[in-house]
This record gives sequence, structure tokens and C-alpha cells, in this order.
Amino acid sequence: MTSLGIAFNVLRRTLSDVRTMALIVVLPLFFVLLYGNSFSGTYSDLRVIVVNGDNGLVSVRTAEYGRITIAADLGSAFIDALDPNAFTVEVMDDSEAALAAVGDDVWAAIIFPKSFSNAIVNEAIRVGGQQEMKIRGYTATLIPGNPIASPPTTLRIDDSNPLIASAVLEGLNTAFASVLQSQQSALVMESMLDVQPLHEGEIKMLDFTAPGIIGFAMTLITVMLTAMAVVRERTGGTLTRILIAPVSAWQVTIGYTLAFSLIALFQSAELFAASALLFDIRFVGDPGVVALIVVLFAIGLQGIATLISTLSKNEAQAMQFVLFLLIPSIMLSGVFWPLETMPASIRPLSYAIPLTFANSALRKSMLKGLGIQDLGFELAVLGGIAFGTLLLSVVFMRRQAYRA
Amino acid sequence: MSDEYVIRAEGLSKKFGKRIALNNLSFAVGQGQLYGLAGPNGAGKTTLIRTLCGLLKPDRGAAFLLGWQMPSTRVRSQLGYMPQDFAVYNDLTVLQNLEFFGRLYNLRRSQIHQRADELLELVRLSDRRRDKVGSFSGGMRRRVSLAISLLHKPRLAFLDEPTAGVDPKLRRDFWDYFNDLAELGVSLVVTTHLVEEATRCSMVGFLIAGRLLTEGTPEDILSQTSTANLDDAFIELQEQGEAVQP
Repeated sequence: MTSLGIAFNVLRRTLSDVRTMALIVVLPLFFVLLYGNSFSGTYSDLRVIVVNGDNGLVSVRTAEYGRITIAADLGSAFIDALDPNAFTVEVMDDSEAALAAVGDDVWAAIIFPKSFSNAIVNEAIRVGGQQEMKIRGYTATLIPGNPIASPPTTLRIDDSNPLIASAVLEGLNTAFASVLQSQQSALVMESMLDVQPLHEGEIKMLDFTAPGIIGFAMTLITVMLTAMAVVRERTGGTLTRILIAPVSAWQVTIGYTLAFSLIALFQSAELFAASALLFDIRFVGDPGVVALIVVLFAIGLQGIATLISTLSKNEAQAMQFVLFLLIPSIMLSGVFWPLETMPASIRPLSYAIPLTFANSALRKSMLKGLGIQDLGFELAVLGGIAFGTLLLSVVFMRRQAYRA
Repeated sequence: MSDEYVIRAEGLSKKFGKRIALNNLSFAVGQGQLYGLAGPNGAGKTTLIRTLCGLLKPDRGAAFLLGWQMPSTRVRSQLGYMPQDFAVYNDLTVLQNLEFFGRLYNLRRSQIHQRADELLELVRLSDRRRDKVGSFSGGMRRRVSLAISLLHKPRLAFLDEPTAGVDPKLRRDFWDYFNDLAELGVSLVVTTHLVEEATRCSMVGFLIAGRLLTEGTPEDILSQTSTANLDDAFIELQEQGEAVQP
């Protein structure tokens, strides 16, 4: 009952403060709006210049009619195939000027020579082997020629931003693949591989980042609120009053944990609901499993916040310590960059961050719909962190009185 | 010293860095005694009270409350502590503060309200019980703090500067109340930097630089120093102490 009384007091005081209430209610929404609009994972307005010198004529050797010339304007087809949502295409005539423009708000310039269509089609016939083709009602057998000496197209790309350079290359590849597929299926990957996406391509970049960002928002808000509240109680002397009463450190810690876990649960529910409603975030998991992950994670965060408050003389110092948790949480927890991209020497640090496991568990549940039986490792680690920090909080809670 | 004393301190020493806060200090308080701990700011009064309550660990020596060596959880329900800080929730009303701390001492709601009536009458805040403490002056917050400290009828109360910032008439009422409590068998240790205030105590200890300069009844001290009031007595003893310092 004492713990409930302490929890009630913390909640009553927290909820009666308009600014803190605003922080609790508005900050998660603010987070969702920011990440929903900024972490979509899709690119837009990438400026590229195309110089289309292609004459659209293709000269091929046939068994029946000898060398014939046909029209196949692949340069224009390529320009049409560029994703208009991703690229802003500017068509120019001057190759030199186009190449020189790259790097100045232009991410790439692509120069199709006069023989572009010819080179592409003949290369397609060479790779695909001798084959028959209907030309104006006549059947002709196309005879493969020699390989082309050098790539027929020039692409200059600004690789100062590797992420954008990679996105530009991927977009150009997609357009090329689409054009080539119309000419020769042997040249495209899909004709060689039977690609079977596990999730039917339904998981967007935003779905992938959302669980981690929700976990990060929880880390930020829960740790900040708890650490500041405990430091304020200590510096104001009320914590001493509580600890000098016939109340055990356990009861006080449980009281705080109850209150801040409830706040964390409310906030995470708000984060999940807003993400799903506003940005249609994928959520195929069991809400009960997600709630379990959130509760274990919140208890761990609350424990860490109590430890931070013990180390801090005042609220400003507490904020500084909070940064020591937040910065590695952003960088090393796999929220934005997969752990697989980190050097082996750094990875152990990732496994020392609670968000790494919360993020992994939330992703598995929200994106893949995995249940408790599949999340044993993550839940065990989060449970261990929760229990361990709770124990340490009890020890340090008593010391808070000595430090007051 | 025997355990007829409710408070017993033996050779308490405490240093903060190089600063000596308590210097081999021993003293005792009997049941129903109103002990005034007087001394200038920085004399070690608060450190002594916090050490006696078990909030600070002494570097040397030991403190016993009600026969238990501190820190001990066994005496907490019988201990009243008013810290020098206000130590109240500014965002709660007076009554909400009393209700919260009362529940920590397992008081029932009716008991809390009955005690709240008595104590708020004493500290003259009956008509402000539903006001938020944050809207109060420093002196009023101290009065709320005093009410919280005495809410659970402690056997032993440590009051750190309870009269600081309180008007003279109310201060006199406080001392009357402390004496009434002492007559009922409650032992009180009250610190003050206003030495003359200590004339209202049954025992007085002068503390300076972590050492007890002297202790005794106010009358004993006045007669020992041949002075007319405790202020003069304190100055006399302080000067004597300084004169014998090498």
C-alpha cells in the first residue's frame, strides 16, 4: 500500500503540472510526426541530367535478310522509365555542360551516345544467343555479334553523399532493367532468379525504423522524467522525509517504478497509436507481447534513470548524464543502422544498450508477428536489465538520502 | 551513559573533505527533554542532527536513538524530523502534503485529518489547508514542514531551525508547543542560530566548529559565565575557547 501511495503521489504531482503533462502527451506525438515525415526511406526530387544523343536506330544481323536496321528508341524509353517520384529529370543537349553540372545540386548526369540503342540491343542479342524475332510480320533469326568494346553510356555521379549516390544508382538500375527487360529477358536478374520476398515487399523503410524510434522516444522521455523527478525530490528534501519514514527502499523504488512505468505505458500506447493511424505503420504482432516488451523496457529505463539521479548533484547534471545514455542509444542500438554494419570491436557496446534488445524485440513482434516463444532471448535480456537495475535502484535509493 | 537516554552520541566525528563538521562530539538527551542546540551558521548543527537520524554516517563514533545504534530502521516510526530545507511538495496543497506523509506512517485518513486540525491550528494555517504550498512565503512553508514532522506524534523529534523566518509571536507559540510536547514525554532536539531562543529549552548545548562548547540548563550556563543572557554567555564562552587555542 505504501508503494501505491508513493506511486499515486508521483502521478498526482506529475499530472498536475501543465508543462510536464504537455511533455508527456505532446512529445510522443511530436516524435511520431517528425519521424513519420522524415524517415520514410524513400527519396524524392533527386535532380539528374540526361543528354540523349541516341539516334534510336539499331543495326542487327539476321540469318534470313542479312543486316537490317530497325527503330528502337531506348534512350527515350530510359528517360520515361525513371521514377518521377524519385527523380527530377532535366534533358540537355550539351554533354560537357551536363557533366560539369554534377555536384552543384545535380546528383548525376547520364550521356547516351548516338549508338546507345544499337549497342544495347546487340549486347542483348549476344548475351541471349541466337533467337527468332518478329519484325513487321516477318520472322527473322537474330545472329549474335561481338561484345562491345566499352560501356556505351557515361554516368557521372556525385558520391559525396553515399546514401543518395546509392539511391541514384539504384533508381537508374531500375530504369535500365525495365528498358532491358523489354529487349532481352536474359539480361535482367528476375529472369535468372526466382525472387520470393518473405513479406511480399510490404515492409517499408518507415515500418523498419518505427519500432526503434518508438523505443528511442521511450528512452528519452522515461529517463528524463524519472531522473529529473528523483533529483528534484532529493534536492527539495522530500525524498529524505520519505526515506526517514518507516518505509523501505524497496517500497519507495516500487512506487516510483509503478508511476513511471504507467506513464511510459501511456506514452508508448500513444506512440504506437499515432504511428499506426498517421503513418500506417506495420503492426502485425500481438499487442500483449508488445506491451510486455514495453513494460520490461520501461522498468529497466526507470532503474537506469534512478542510477543517473544518484550520480547527479542537480537537475542540470542529470540532463548531462542522460545524454550519455541517449547518444549511444541513437548510434549503436541498430535503430538507424543495422548492427551488421558496425565493426566487431564496437558491437559489444551495442549489446550493453537496452534499446538494442527492445528494438530487436519490437521489430520481430511488430513487423514479423513473432510471439513470446520466439522472443525468448530479447525478453530475457530486457527482464534481466529490469530486475538488475531495480535491485541497484533499491541500493542507490537509500544512498539518495545520504546525499541529500 | 546509560540507555535511560533516548539519544546518546559517543565521540561522533565527521569530515567533509578537509572541513571538520563534527569533532569527537558526545552528548545525551533524556526522555521529555527539550534540548536546544545553538550555534552560528556552519557550527555543525545540521550535520549532528543528520548523523543522529542516520542520514549521515559518522567517520568515527556512534549514535544511539531509543537504544538502537543508528542507522536503524526500528526507530523510524517514532522519529520526527524537520529538515532545514522546507522539504514539502510545492505543487500539492497543505492537506495533500499532510495526507501523503501521514500515510507513510500508516496513519488512517481520520487520524491524519484530526492531527491536521490540531497542527494547522498551531502553525496558523487552518484557513489555508487547501492552498498549494507553492503559493506560500518561506516562513509559511516552514510551518507546513513543522506540521508534517509532528503529524505522527513522534517520541523523538529533531527540528532543524524550525523558527527561522517565523514572526516573533508565532515563534513564541512554537516554543510553548515544544515545551508542552516535552511535558508529555516527547524528547526534542531543536537547533537555532538565535542563541537567545534556547532559553526556552530545558537543556542547551553550544556548538561551534563541530565541538560542544558547553551544555547545561540555561540557568547553569548563565551562572557559569556570569552573564545576563545566553547571547552574552555564548560570546563569553567562544572568546574563552579562542583564548585557550594555541
